[in-house]
Amino acid sequence: METDAAVSQLRRGDLNALSTLMARYQNRIYRYLLRLVRQPAEAEDLFQQTWLRVAEKIRSYDPARNFDAWLFTLARNLAFDHLRRIQPRSLDEPLAEDSPDETMISRMASADPGPFDQLMASERASHLAAALENLPVSYREVLSLRFEEEMKLEEIAFVLGAPLSTVKSRLRRSLEQLREAFEKGHGSEVWQ
Amino acid sequence: MSHRDEHAEIREQLALLVAGALDSDTAVRIARHAATCADCEAELERWQLISSGLRRLPTPQPSHLLFERTRAMVGAQMVERAEQRENRTVLLLLVSFSWVVTIASWPAFRFATGGLLSLLDIRFHQTWLIFAIFSALTWLAGGSAAVLLSARRQQERRLAS
Repeated sequence: METDAAVSQLRRGDLNALSTLMARYQNRIYRYLLRLVRQPAEAEDLFQQTWLRVAEKIRSYDPARNFDAWLFTLARNLAFDHLRRIQPRSLDEPLAEDSPDETMISRMASADPGPFDQLMASERASHLAAALENLPVSYREVLSLRFEEEMKLEEIAFVLGAPLSTVKSRLRRSLEQLREAFEKGHGSEVWQ
Repeated sequence: MSHRDEHAEIREQLALLVAGALDSDTAVRIARHAATCADCEAELERWQLISSGLRRLPTPQPSHLLFERTRAMVGAQMVERAEQRENRTVLLLLVSFSWVVTIASWPAFRFATGGLLSLLDIRFHQTWLIFAIFSALTWLAGGSAAVLLSARRQQERRLAS
């Protein structure tokens, strides 16, 4: 079933359409939420809230618009509401004080390397993941939307509710900061 | 623009180039420059490593249980909302029907009690007063029944959950 058809059926209250959409988007939405909040338990809770919100708001969704962007906007709003509620200090710092080099994404990278290792050394992968995890949430977000979700800049602007120029400048700053953190933490040998 | 200025400008754009955030003319111009400039070419390669690394970060998988739990939760919510919508529609129909019956019953009431009313010499404005009292009592009784039924249903739901 195509996404558009599933969305139309969901608007009519079809539960099978909900399952179709959830199966199609579950990995992407969960990954995006995890990039934002960094804690699996919080990401799972937000994942549930996102789909509850989808069922609640689907009648107000304009089918002429991009469903991906609409869905990610719902997820983003919930995640940022959640982030505003918790201590800001906890948002942009490494996860574990006792092992600052080990982070959520680096743990995932070492546990399930996937095809990444085929092209890049695993050490470099975990360094990059660690550097990403330590960026501010707005930078992690824009990098995830562009490189992982492969959204167009216009779609990212819709999700962020920001002008295209802001998206571009944030993208550039986040890449520069990622690279700086990548090189700073691991020296020039990371390019070898 | 001097060669140095162009070089600096291109360095600043390399990050956006690997992010696919530049227009095609600018991208071509930068690619041409990089092809003739070893420093920029090396810099571009580093940015490409960052870019490809980001595209290939492992995707965390939500648990199967999370999927099932979420689907069940959202499904229950959808069923409840559909039920609420259906209840609203039924209520609207019932209200409309009640009004029709109320209004239609008045001529029948007049017809049945016509003689009595004539004897009592009830005038036009009084008939409307009686009609208003009759309607108010009818609606009060109906409203009370609806509230009681609703309260009972909510209590049943609470007990069921």
